[in-house]
Amino acid sequence: MKYNRRNFIKQCIALYGSTLLLPACSTRGKTQTYRSFSPLQADCLGAICEQIIPTDEYPGAIDSGVVNYIDRQIYIRFPELKELYHEGIQAVNSYCTSVYNKEFTALSWDDQTQLLLTMEKGELPEEHWEKASQREFFRIVRRNTMQGFYGAPHHGGNKDYISYRMMNLNYPFIAGQNRYGEK
Amino acid sequence: MGKNKYITAIVVGAGAGGGIVAKELATSNIKVTLFERGDWPSYDKHFNDELISQRVQDLGTSFGPDGKKNPRVLISPDGKRNTVYRAVNHIAACVGSGTVSYGAMAWRFMPEDFKMKSTYGAVEGSTLDDWPISYEDLAPSYDKAEREIGVAGDMSGIPFAPNKDNPYPMPPFEYSREGEFLKNVCQNMELHPFPVPMLRNSVPYNGRGACIRNRYCVGTACPVNAKNGTQNTVIPVAMQTGNCEVKTNCFVYKIHTDGKGKATGVAYFDENNKSKTLEADIIVLSASAHETARLLLNSKSVEFPNGIGNNNDWVGRNHQGHSYTGAVALFDFDILDLTTGPNTTLGIMDYNHHNKGIIGGGLLANEFFLGPYAFTDQRPPGSPTWGKEHKKYQRENYQRTGLLVGPIQEIPIFDARVTIAEDVKDFWGVPVAAFSGGHHPLDKINCQFLSSKAEEIFIKAGAVKIWRRGGGEGQQGGGQHQGGTCRMGNNPATSVTDSFGRIHDMENLYVADGSLMVTNGGFNPVLTIMALAFRVGGHIASKWM
Repeated sequence: MKYNRRNFIKQCIALYGSTLLLPACSTRGKTQTYRSFSPLQADCLGAICEQIIPTDEYPGAIDSGVVNYIDRQIYIRFPELKELYHEGIQAVNSYCTSVYNKEFTALSWDDQTQLLLTMEKGELPEEHWEKASQREFFRIVRRNTMQGFYGAPHHGGNKDYISYRMMNLNYPFIAGQNRYGEK
Repeated sequence: MGKNKYITAIVVGAGAGGGIVAKELATSNIKVTLFERGDWPSYDKHFNDELISQRVQDLGTSFGPDGKKNPRVLISPDGKRNTVYRAVNHIAACVGSGTVSYGAMAWRFMPEDFKMKSTYGAVEGSTLDDWPISYEDLAPSYDKAEREIGVAGDMSGIPFAPNKDNPYPMPPFEYSREGEFLKNVCQNMELHPFPVPMLRNSVPYNGRGACIRNRYCVGTACPVNAKNGTQNTVIPVAMQTGNCEVKTNCFVYKIHTDGKGKATGVAYFDENNKSKTLEADIIVLSASAHETARLLLNSKSVEFPNGIGNNNDWVGRNHQGHSYTGAVALFDFDILDLTTGPNTTLGIMDYNHHNKGIIGGGLLANEFFLGPYAFTDQRPPGSPTWGKEHKKYQRENYQRTGLLVGPIQEIPIFDARVTIAEDVKDFWGVPVAAFSGGHHPLDKINCQFLSSKAEEIFIKAGAVKIWRRGGGEGQQGGGQHQGGTCRMGNNPATSVTDSFGRIHDMENLYVADGSLMVTNGGFNPVLTIMALAFRVGGHIASKWM
């Protein structure tokens, strides 16, 4: 091929296009990685969050990016919560393994719900909760899940303004769009 | 004093009180240095972000203070000390302070609020007292605050309103859907509803445009600068005189005295955290009820071993806030209209004073819109707090939930106080404020009274489900309505300042913020703080110039 200006530009465009495509190809089929959680921890946490805000006609906690939100907040703002999360997740799985012989994510939906209801009241056997307080763990996860789902999307959750759409709030929000002076 | 020398003043804190004092002094040709521990505010920094606002502070505050640098100690009734590294009192730290992010309700206290003891008699276990000034004494300063900062409202025809014959400079805001609906209910009950007076521009005013009826207003700055605070009114006026320098990111931590009843200057950390001093002829403290008390208590000397003005142990005492109570109601139709905002438009003051058996009382107003996250906690008692039901409730009832709330006038007690935790230091190494003490037992009873009244209105309004809010118990934290810690009075033995905010025993040291309030009223206090600042500032200017 003759090396002239036209061909050079064509090559550049082709090259640029492929670099845009490459990352998309490489992440396909791979699960998201987190800064504060291993993939297994993230799966367990996601399952807990999904119980708190389940999928119905609208996406739930997992699809709206709540785990991403929690991961981000621990990394940016609340590093002190990392330990509680790790110990809490471990305690949940340790209890599940001893009673059901499987991890939390493998439990039936209703068993998961029941477990969390018991944990919220602080009534799971204490031997799994020597490090973290189960009520405190539940309280924090619940609170962070609500923040992630109902807070502003730029914090990492509420993907595509899903909770705002669900609540019939007109978004994206434009300051000054609000009508006034109309009767 | 030589003819060519200017009189100099230091004002500590550029909030509701300090901004006004700075303007009053600067326009009287006094050279003012206005200290602010925060920065100039900017709306863009926290654009419509519910999780970082002054109202919901889960991820931080929009206008400081940084909780990690400014810890607090909470001492529970059983003596347990808890150091918290987060903003605990919703107080802002920026030029304008709370007036940047407040809901901007502009209440005048009623004449009875200045004469609580003569109206109701002494209350056992309480420091309840009369103010050294009457409503009439403060009325001209209320007028000034309403005009110079800018208030929209209409109190004509409200028999309890002391300013019913005195129009506001701007017409009132129109009622929101909820406001209009509840107004009609109140009228049918022979109550006296009115549009809540607001420190916002209902029409263009004072060189700035009108409010755009932003949905979420309280907790954030205004995107079009139509909410009126000291940062966009009096402080620019003060700066334009050429007599006022605003020192931002500078934190005053000690007042120096000469041992002969005169304050000589302040020590502060500048924007690079270097300790410096500045001298002045006059010093005015407007750092908030918590920080002003802390500053005085931290300023120990031979003359004042327990802190300035504290030889009778009154600095930090009488600490009050507002227990916000009322009722929440669920309707079977959309009572809210989210296309406009910020919703609080209807007020009643039928339950402030003259209610049998109730000392004080409080106003009721329909509440500002809650953000989606704040609404996750608005559920009838016993409802699921998570799961499918909770999510369904969120979308079905967000626009069907009405709130009627108000601040109860707290009955002050001697043991509710701000002290210094000598062993807990802030980022700069200065001992922090500690809060201890609880509530007078009447607070809980008064909260029950006010919430039952809110419930009555919702019953008449045909709500399908109503639940009441409690309040009036637990630790006294002051909150954003903190007051009373340097109460004014004629008797130096039972107060901290005189009726013009001058600290007893001190020739040139004044207070101009919520600390002065003898009693906190059953109203949001900001307009009263502004009026007090006009009074103190005007007095200093007339006395010193």
